[in-house]
Amino acid sequence: MDERDDWHLTDRVEHETGAGDPFAAAVRATRMPMVITDPSKPDNPIVFCNEAFQKLTGYARVEIIGRNCRFLQGPNTDRDSVRRIREAIAAGKPIDVDLLNYRKDGTTFWNALYLSPVRNSAGDIQFFFASQLDVTDRIEAQKAIAEQKAIVERKVEKRTADLTAALEAKTLLLHEVDHRVKNNLTMIGSLLRLQARTIDDPTVAAKLEAMLERVDALATVHRRLYQSDNVQHFDIGAFCQNLVADVVGSSGRSDIVTDVSVDRIEIPAAMASALGLVLNEVLTNAIKHAYADGRGGTLTVSAQRDGDRATLSIADDGPGFDGDKPPAGGLGTTLIKRLAKQAGADVRWNSGADGTRVEILLDLERA
Amino acid sequence: MMRPTAPLSVLIVEDEALLAMDLESMIEDAGHRVVAEAASLHDVADLPGDCRFDLAFVDIQLACGTSGLDVSRLIQERWNTAFIVFVTANPAKIPEDFAGAHGVIPKPFSRNGLMAAMRYIEEGVCDPPPVSPQPASFHASPAFAATWS
Repeated sequence: MDERDDWHLTDRVEHETGAGDPFAAAVRATRMPMVITDPSKPDNPIVFCNEAFQKLTGYARVEIIGRNCRFLQGPNTDRDSVRRIREAIAAGKPIDVDLLNYRKDGTTFWNALYLSPVRNSAGDIQFFFASQLDVTDRIEAQKAIAEQKAIVERKVEKRTADLTAALEAKTLLLHEVDHRVKNNLTMIGSLLRLQARTIDDPTVAAKLEAMLERVDALATVHRRLYQSDNVQHFDIGAFCQNLVADVVGSSGRSDIVTDVSVDRIEIPAAMASALGLVLNEVLTNAIKHAYADGRGGTLTVSAQRDGDRATLSIADDGPGFDGDKPPAGGLGTTLIKRLAKQAGADVRWNSGADGTRVEILLDLERA
Repeated sequence: MMRPTAPLSVLIVEDEALLAMDLESMIEDAGHRVVAEAASLHDVADLPGDCRFDLAFVDIQLACGTSGLDVSRLIQERWNTAFIVFVTANPAKIPEDFAGAHGVIPKPFSRNGLMAAMRYIEEGVCDPPPVSPQPASFHASPAFAATWS
């Protein structure tokens, strides 16, 4: 069959518009690959294809005419897309789909297929018109982007999982260390308490008792620190309240009334132990000296915050001592002095006939 | 309901010998009696049938990999009038409903804290509601605290 015979094949689509129709000439000459199929014939064969279609697919017109369009499909053509085309044809509806097609030489191209029914004046489908466009570059670029995106996403996912695992491990370790520190502090306390019970000398027993109270104060600091959500900061106000309740409550001295009012005062965790011990010394001092010999009274404790400054105040209504000096000697006094200095706190003593008032001034800015 | 009267009979469930000894001496200092000690769930299960106690102090992590939560369940089955207080370094492990127990003393405890807790528990058990201020060293379970209001 030569080109002249081919020409006659196209006549079939010209029967309503005539051979000299400029539209038909345009379709033949356009760079856009196009085919027309005839659904009235068995297997809906191609009855017209233009030059651009032959160029795109690598097939000659004789190899195309009379065949169903599916000869362009191959092993990697998406079955689902093919099914959608089949359904559109059966329903007489237009369809727009990207399809992997095969050239005569076996190479592939991405075909942006647009297929629509052509109806006659009675509304019956007479032909299907299909235009193709080689969009391989676009699809490949999209695929490359999608692959890159997936690679980055996988990397982000892995990194996130690594970080989550690291955080979990750190939290677990923190809990484990906290647990062990607590157990050790509990055991140190138990050892000291058990030893204290064996000592008959009241002076030595009192010293051991004081030591035990210090370990207890440290244990309370640790407990409060790890009970909170934030292990970097320590609420010295709440600790004050806690310590007063423990120290006075357990003394069994129902004749000592406490009047406690505290603000939330956050100090860095590094200062917590030193200040906790200072508070413990001042408090146990008050109980031991102000309320000695069964004398009752009111212990007034406050923790107030004023901007960058805070004042912890412990005031008893005992007999007091002379002037503004702490009771001389003893480890307690030394501890207060040295530990307050370490924590950058200023301790002021004020004692008179109506009792003793100890103020611990904190510079939160400096802390 | 018959309320127990002081001195209370106490069971200590703790696998750390030092702590068990220490607890025992403080409980006795507070005027109560330790009637038995156990280090694991198995020890509690093996307690003689005539063993009676009003109050149990129960650690959570016990010997032989057993749990104080299981001990709490067992006590509720066999000694259903006993009060149960967990003593643990990890209070976060206790479920919200305290698994039927009555409260918790967080470790590390101090002598002061434990004595205050002991007094508060005694009041809550023998003559509720407690009149002492709530010590920081003891947290009553929501269900136990609700019986006081």
